[in-house]
Amino acid sequence: MSTATASQETAARQPRRIFGRFSPVFVAWVLALALVFLVGVAAAIYVIANGLGVTNLTNALPWGLWITVDLSAIALGAGAFSLSAAVYLFGMKRFEAIARAAVWVGLTGYTSAMLALFIDIGRPDRFYHPIIYWNVHSVLWEITMCVVLYTTVLMIELVPVLIESTPLHKIGILHRLAHFLHRLMPIVALMGMGLSLLHQSSLGATYGILTARPVWYSPSAPVLFILSAVAAGPALTMSASIIAGWFMRKQLIPTDVLSGVARFVGFAALAYLYLKLWSWAATNYYAHVPEQQLGLELLAENTPYNFTFWFGEVLFGALVPAIFLLWRRTRTNSSVIVLAGFMLIAGLVINRWNVTLSGFVLPLDWSPGVANVFPLNTYEPALVEWLVAIGIVAYSWLAFTLGVRFLKLYPNARDLTVLANPRDSGTAGEEPPATIPPQP
Amino acid sequence: MTEQNSPETRPTPETQEALIDQVTPAPVPENVKILSRREFMTLLIGGGASLVLAATLAQPLDTIVRQAVASGAAPEPGSDPNYHWVMVIDLSKCIGCDYCVWACQATNDTRDDMRWNIRVTDRTAQGVEFHVTRPCLHCAHAPCVSVCPVGATYNRPDGLVVMDYDKCIGCRYCQTACPYGARVFNWEDRQDVNDKAPEWGKPEVERRARGVVEKCTFCIHRIDAGVARGLMPGVDEAATPACVNVCPVTARYFGNLNDPTSTVAQIIKNQPTLRLREDLGTDPNVYYIPPEGLL
Repeated sequence: MSTATASQETAARQPRRIFGRFSPVFVAWVLALALVFLVGVAAAIYVIANGLGVTNLTNALPWGLWITVDLSAIALGAGAFSLSAAVYLFGMKRFEAIARAAVWVGLTGYTSAMLALFIDIGRPDRFYHPIIYWNVHSVLWEITMCVVLYTTVLMIELVPVLIESTPLHKIGILHRLAHFLHRLMPIVALMGMGLSLLHQSSLGATYGILTARPVWYSPSAPVLFILSAVAAGPALTMSASIIAGWFMRKQLIPTDVLSGVARFVGFAALAYLYLKLWSWAATNYYAHVPEQQLGLELLAENTPYNFTFWFGEVLFGALVPAIFLLWRRTRTNSSVIVLAGFMLIAGLVINRWNVTLSGFVLPLDWSPGVANVFPLNTYEPALVEWLVAIGIVAYSWLAFTLGVRFLKLYPNARDLTVLANPRDSGTAGEEPPATIPPQP
Repeated sequence: MTEQNSPETRPTPETQEALIDQVTPAPVPENVKILSRREFMTLLIGGGASLVLAATLAQPLDTIVRQAVASGAAPEPGSDPNYHWVMVIDLSKCIGCDYCVWACQATNDTRDDMRWNIRVTDRTAQGVEFHVTRPCLHCAHAPCVSVCPVGATYNRPDGLVVMDYDKCIGCRYCQTACPYGARVFNWEDRQDVNDKAPEWGKPEVERRARGVVEKCTFCIHRIDAGVARGLMPGVDEAATPACVNVCPVTARYFGNLNDPTSTVAQIIKNQPTLRLREDLGTDPNVYYIPPEGLL
């Protein structure tokens, strides 16, 4: 048998591999993401070189797309604390099958948020100032400290994974370190949960405490932020893991765990919806506070706020996915879980955008007379803002992809190619034989 | 892509039928067992030791936290025994000439799109137009001060809300929080020539760097230098904010509220005045004499 025929036969049986061990889809995906990320880096360098004047932000509307990215990334990283807490504090051990992936998604989200903030502040060279100059009264200071500390917690949680996934575990002391850290996990998870509960809600408080902005000022803002994060965070980890599994032809998370997380997310979405509707009723339906009412009328007349609120945030952002994830017949279908997950994620991003923009679009009203002194503010992100934002998204997807590929994130993963093609069971789980020449 | 299947957990052909029929969770690796009795005791003892340590540290920590809390807290306005700077703006006199706006721009070197002191035209319920000028109101309970993550803006005991340009990280939360839109951000490196100078005054302060927030200072450089030389802000022009000096109809007054004989103290004591958005509880240090028909 010539080498050529042998390799053809093997190629027919084995999934195609390039550079020795990667599928072409994987390589193309990673390269595409890296390219988009590099474009984002170039845009970020342009911003840092020229200042924030290159954005479409103004003194009247100083926060925009990047804040939405930052808020969304932190909220979507919330799967880490929710699922770690479930595993290590509430003893729901079976969720460990997804907890590590959630921690990785969490770290990805938090580092994305840090990137967004780094570009968004006027003096990136002073990014460390909140750590040395404290204003303990500032929710933003508290958020910064919690985000820094919690990112550290996530890294500690990942050290054992990193050691186990690489040849480092062969070094005795590191092996023992991994073991030691693993035992500490309940404490680390407790710290993580404390920090997360603090800053996830403070992000809502960032807007909720501002008395001068009637559509923001609300005691429910912090709770709405944390509930939406607890719903959408695990939803992202779950959906992303399912999609990664499709490409790897693996069941990364056992079906019963998936079903359990789906149910949890469904209930969290319902809790979010419950408070959201009461909050709406109290501030819109029953209240006729002049400033607030005028603000909401202006938003309804001039922006797609009402439509995006009811359809993007409430109906398709919470209610429909909650039904999908709570109804047994739909919950067991991984495609439906992914669909519901994306609805929740989209609903959350729309919510963070709406929250940020709604308060800014309405002009401040401080003049003592009755004239409408200031016009509505408008904002549309500049191209460079989009490029940076998309670059950060590409970074997070890239980090997730590489983590899934190279780290042992799924302790209970099962190879589906084995089941689909029993004849290959002996080799499907191994590296392709050395007889295959590397493809160009 | 096999790293995650150790040889032990990979199904053999014999077990596959069973796997297809009945999805069993993969065997849980040994190290997943979280808390044995022994580990629990270790944690308990470790936790106890930490508590003892925490108790020992509690006293110094408490002091540190108290100091940190106190450092960020707004001093009571006028807690300086000598001075409490306030401004009074007489809306019934203001003719909307914009001189105060331009004098401020010349003195503090601001561009048209980043004015510290602005004028707007408003009207009463009866439809009578009047002009409102708005510097920074130097609130005693300033929202910008409590939100700043680094304490780059803070209350001085003499009532001023001041900026530390060297601390500011440019997050712009203060702009978001200020109910009066009094804060402006340095969006770019400024190359422009100040077109209000020299006609309306000459720049007396350095231009601010790109990336920090700035706002009206009540011409703090004049106040501090003046007081140091024994001058009285509000009386001696060299120690008084530029907008007050330039007003052709004397619609602006500046002075020390702690001195009952000062003009500002007299006006606030004897005339009806209003402050902007008093409902927000910001307790501003700028008082307005309303135009006829507003109150």
